[in-house]
Amino acid sequence: MKIKVKGIGLTKFGELWNKNLLDLALEASLEAINDARITNNDIDAVYVGNMLIGKIAGQDHLGPVITSSLGLNCASFRIEGACASGGLAVHLAIQGILAGTYKNVLVVGAEKMTDAPSSQITWALMGASSSQERKAGLTFPALYALLAQAHIQKYKTTREELAQVSVKNHFHASLNNKAQYPFEISVEKVLNSSAISYPITLFDSSPISDGAGAVVLSSDTDSKGVYITGSAASSDTIDLAQRESLTELKATKLAAKSALAQAGMEISDIKVAEVHDCFTIAEILAMEDLGFCQKGMGGKFVTSRCTRLGGRCPVNTSGGLKACGHPVGATGVKQIIEITEQLRKTSGKRQVRNANCGLTQNVGGTGATVVVHVLQT
Amino acid sequence: MSSPVTVWRHHKNIRNYLRKKGKILVWTKVFNAPAGFEHEAPYFVAIVKFEDGTKMPLQLVECEEKDLKPNRKIITVVRKRGKVSLDEVIEYGIKAKPI
Repeated sequence: MKIKVKGIGLTKFGELWNKNLLDLALEASLEAINDARITNNDIDAVYVGNMLIGKIAGQDHLGPVITSSLGLNCASFRIEGACASGGLAVHLAIQGILAGTYKNVLVVGAEKMTDAPSSQITWALMGASSSQERKAGLTFPALYALLAQAHIQKYKTTREELAQVSVKNHFHASLNNKAQYPFEISVEKVLNSSAISYPITLFDSSPISDGAGAVVLSSDTDSKGVYITGSAASSDTIDLAQRESLTELKATKLAAKSALAQAGMEISDIKVAEVHDCFTIAEILAMEDLGFCQKGMGGKFVTSRCTRLGGRCPVNTSGGLKACGHPVGATGVKQIIEITEQLRKTSGKRQVRNANCGLTQNVGGTGATVVVHVLQT
Repeated sequence: MSSPVTVWRHHKNIRNYLRKKGKILVWTKVFNAPAGFEHEAPYFVAIVKFEDGTKMPLQLVECEEKDLKPNRKIITVVRKRGKVSLDEVIEYGIKAKPI
């Protein structure tokens, strides 16, 4: 499989009060189309990754909202897969190209979250959980807190090790002018921040964000550039209690195995990765389930600085969801953009040396949906 | 707020979970509660495993943090769920308490 990332466009992430969802989606889309050196009319289909706009602003039928604003009459789709909506949109766009139906597709991931009060966002996000979880009074921080507790119980992972994920990702974000929180924090700051759901604190958690990312994907393979060579999506039970294990995301393992096999790569070939650190425990689980380290060693692996810029395989050079921000529908697309920039060697101060192969992992819910992509030059 | 018919349908299932015994697998203390649970925060939620092998997330009641450990035995109980205004139907649900 060889799908070219022909163009990329990304807005700043954060509390962008002067822009609505369409402003953000169009800004990213036009930048991506311009970067691809094509015109709007060269786009054969538009895939939009978005989770929340129908619930918090009443706007469904999002595909034509984007195409009509671009002056297009092509096919358009809104893809919803919770926080993996963006990654799923990329995955489905690739299937459209591989099927031979489309040559150039625009994938837009966009979310506008800060217009709504946090209680409404918390309620809306819980649409990605099971009804029993909602009845039990669980929230997403609480669900990931249960995963953290299971990891702590079984592998003696410490809260300090969890905090190291946040410290590293804030350092990376400090080098990224598109990040919502471009500043460094300390382990103590994470540990002493407000309790959200024990052992998860405020600074263990990704923020509520606005933002959009867009990529133009193409069947064009006759030139140099960055290519997606593996794309896989997997699923698991929506209810965390029904999982075989609380210390792994099975869907991550399955999607990674498939995507790497498609690319003909091993995890040891990956030089840079963007993974779904919605909460610090999520990045530790990702390190283990993707195979970067042994099961149970994720906390120590992160603490060893292997995944920090300058380490063996830097992870979340954008700042991740934690510090770059997490406009949920945009996140999976932003991950593709960050890896594309790394492989193009245009990442400036956060450039990973010798980056020629990267991976993204985008999670919906607590791992009920996982999408993994492999990118190469 | 759940509609009356949703509450009625949900209440019909409560009998299937009455006085089930099991144990805590993992638990957390929720400080930032979702809408409808704010008045109860902070509260405890656990994934419990029943004696028949089935698992379920349940809110824990009548307990203190020092009582909560993995493998702690629990029994299910019926309790009011969430908070409703005077003209709404009160919803009951299954919760668990340590024994």
